[in-house]
Amino acid sequence: MMRFTDLKREANFVFGHRQIKLTLLVVFLLSVVSLWSGYAEMQEQQATIERLLEKDQIEREAVITQQSNFGMVAYYAFHLTYAPPSPLAFAAVGERDVFPWKHRIRMLALEGQIYESDTDNPELAFLGRFDFAFVTSILLPLFIILLLYDLKAKEREARRFDLLNVTARNAHAIWTSRVLVTLVPLALVTLTPFVVFGLANGAPVLSILTVCAIVIGNIAIWSAIVLVIGTAKRFANFSATHLASVMLGVWLVTTVIVPVTAHTVINSVIETPEGGDIVLTQREAVNSAWDKPVEDTWRAFIATHPQWADYTEFDPERDSSFNWKWYYAFQQVGDQTASELSRGFQASTLQKDTIASYVALFSPSLLTQRLLSSAADTDVEAMVSYENDVRAFHKSLRKFYYYHLFKDPEFSQESLKALPQFTPSTDTSHNNRSGKKE
Amino acid sequence: MIFSVVKTICADQWRYWLRTKVAATVLLLGAILTLAALVVNAFHIEEAAHARDHFQTEAEERFKAQPDKHPHRMVHYGHYVFRAPTPLSVIEPGVDTYTGNAIFLEGHRQNSAMFAEQRQSAGLTRFSSLTPSFLALVLAPLFIILIGYGSVSREREAGTLTLLLSQGTTRWQLMLGKLLALITASGLFLLPLLLACFYVAFSSESVLVVLLFSLSYAVYFLLWAAVVTACSALFEKSSVSFTMLIVIWMAACVLLPRIGSSVATNAAPSIGKLEADFKVVEKLRSLGDGHDVNDPAFKKLKENLLAKYDVDSVDDLPVNFRGVVAQYSEGRQAKVLNEFAENRMGEELEQAHIARQFGWLSPTVSVRAISTILAGTSLETHHRFLREAEALRLEFVQGLNKVHVEKLDYKLDMNRNASEEAAEKAVVDADNWALLSEFDFKPEAANTRISNALIYFLQLFVWVCITTLLLKAAVRRLNP
Repeated sequence: MMRFTDLKREANFVFGHRQIKLTLLVVFLLSVVSLWSGYAEMQEQQATIERLLEKDQIEREAVITQQSNFGMVAYYAFHLTYAPPSPLAFAAVGERDVFPWKHRIRMLALEGQIYESDTDNPELAFLGRFDFAFVTSILLPLFIILLLYDLKAKEREARRFDLLNVTARNAHAIWTSRVLVTLVPLALVTLTPFVVFGLANGAPVLSILTVCAIVIGNIAIWSAIVLVIGTAKRFANFSATHLASVMLGVWLVTTVIVPVTAHTVINSVIETPEGGDIVLTQREAVNSAWDKPVEDTWRAFIATHPQWADYTEFDPERDSSFNWKWYYAFQQVGDQTASELSRGFQASTLQKDTIASYVALFSPSLLTQRLLSSAADTDVEAMVSYENDVRAFHKSLRKFYYYHLFKDPEFSQESLKALPQFTPSTDTSHNNRSGKKE
Repeated sequence: MIFSVVKTICADQWRYWLRTKVAATVLLLGAILTLAALVVNAFHIEEAAHARDHFQTEAEERFKAQPDKHPHRMVHYGHYVFRAPTPLSVIEPGVDTYTGNAIFLEGHRQNSAMFAEQRQSAGLTRFSSLTPSFLALVLAPLFIILIGYGSVSREREAGTLTLLLSQGTTRWQLMLGKLLALITASGLFLLPLLLACFYVAFSSESVLVVLLFSLSYAVYFLLWAAVVTACSALFEKSSVSFTMLIVIWMAACVLLPRIGSSVATNAAPSIGKLEADFKVVEKLRSLGDGHDVNDPAFKKLKENLLAKYDVDSVDDLPVNFRGVVAQYSEGRQAKVLNEFAENRMGEELEQAHIARQFGWLSPTVSVRAISTILAGTSLETHHRFLREAEALRLEFVQGLNKVHVEKLDYKLDMNRNASEEAAEKAVVDADNWALLSEFDFKPEAANTRISNALIYFLQLFVWVCITTLLLKAAVRRLNP
């Protein structure tokens, strides 16, 4: 049993320590700085999206009014798609700096457009982001080790060890309470700024609590690791600093060696289609269509779009060698030809991510990082689901234009009012996703 | 004589390390990791080099194997270029995994690079990576700390320091002996790296670049060995020196590079390609659509051309007017595109420069800058790749446009949509596709890379001075 007086005495002791106060201050500052920088970056991304939306609208309207048939509109009108940062993205930038979160696409073959990436400065991505997820998953364990490694040794060296053991009612209780009074403030200085930023950014309370739980879980795991090593019989005659070396060894193995080894193994085990293959295949299919008999294109197109089988004829007088219907049909066929490779590429991205989620069970830091970006909707799954949103939107564009190209209604600016608009998927998808994981 | 004392102290430290398990484990782990990283990375780079070379050849062959076509169709058929990895990327892959390594080149557009490897890594390598440079710059210092934090303070705590100093060993001898021991130990991590460097030097890289590259790593290791020895002497207790060194490591190796990156993002936000594209489009619209010969923007061009050949209509021109328009507008457009592309690269470089200023606060940042710049895996080299790709794009597109101007009859060209036979006549011979030149990407010349890295060598030099002062202070204050 822990007694309140024990806790109080320990609290006085801990806060009387300059080193501990200093550490807490440093952690607090790191937490605030990381949150602020993530917040500023996400504000900038949000502002970028708003600017893009406005320009996209103006640009498309300007382009459309100049055109006189649907084929030309489809060729020249671009559509902005984007994945807005979630209210918690500021805490875990996650994969947002390597996966694209904005594309402008048009009716041409999608495989030629979707791998374009307007991502951030590669050198900055290479150096890494200083975000809250980094502070809590990578740095916090190091601070915990620094705070706790000499818990007992310090007392031994100060010759207070026996005295403490004798005066406390329960020998275990005293160490437990000392750990508590060290770690509770640590969790508080880390999480309080996060909660403030989260609320200010309008994040749902439930997600904020989830993040807090993840961080507290990470702190708990690391203090358990530190305590187990510190009290293990095997290391009984180790000096405090040797113990700390062992603890750092555990940090090193779980945070660095497990992920990079897993990465190396996963990469050699999971077959991934070469990106180069996808785009080359697609381009070849699209461009060779010009030289092939028109029937070849129609056969492949009708196989997936039987509803247009009766509409493939076109006026031989007017456009025997060029027609928009046929032009977009071979764009579609180009995508179809590359679709197996492209699906394989996405599937392997997801498969690697799934394996990584199992690997994370052996690495508390990786687990924390993954859970945080999952909560913030910045994980691989979220980015792939944005890619699929883009694919779905492109499909709806095709549906719209195919109707207008094949049924050939009178061209009017009015009918273009019904052009599909991209709407980013909302939070429901996120809840489904995280629900699946837990 | 003086040196033999140093040697004895060094040997004694080594005996201690081999006796205690922690140090031996750390040394072994470090050496294994470095070797593993080198082997894995070498295979990976070899494979990537092979794959990209294969794609490059295939793309060129496919281009040249196209049948007789209308030249403008080849402009839209386009071409792919792939960036082959540089020799030193075996040690320092740098931004390579974060940039795409393939670009699709086509008429009227500048595309961005595709397929960044990092997207396929499921976030496993966002903090750490099994690359020799990560091990050397981030982990090796930690290992040096773990074996060296107590080298002097241990003697003090055991009371042997008094003994040593009273037996006539000078403070400098003692410190140098300890330093030498730590340097030889860290040499275990450095050695595989140096061997790999020499291998690269003999294969295809400039010897001077490789020498400077390995020198900067050697100096970096030396710095850490000196800082660790100094701290171990400066602080009374092993535990204090341990804590201090871990804090220094966290700040220098883990925190500051990232803070630099975040500061750069927020201090000099770059507007991104998509947004810049709108401005490009705005400007381009005023230049006219190169597909449409009747666009008013080309009226002047037409008048000049008619006057030049002294004819009344474009039909009588000895050249294909559609080709002339395509050539003219592509050239003007490329100018605008490049103006914006240069802008963007300038912005990115400015961000990188801000992040690299943190080299004044952490030697890790300066050595990383040196290492990526010399290895040809820096932002600068990536930009060079983008520029060369653009040059190739313009060259083959304008080459095709020239064929359009000179080898395709205007009347046949204008008539091409009349019937299938007419379309078949409006083509040029496939021999013309041979105009595509080979793309063989090489990083900047050795001198350029070295001069790009000069400022970061200066940063490193300042760190050497600071560390020397620290070591001196530690010797002066070394008391039993």
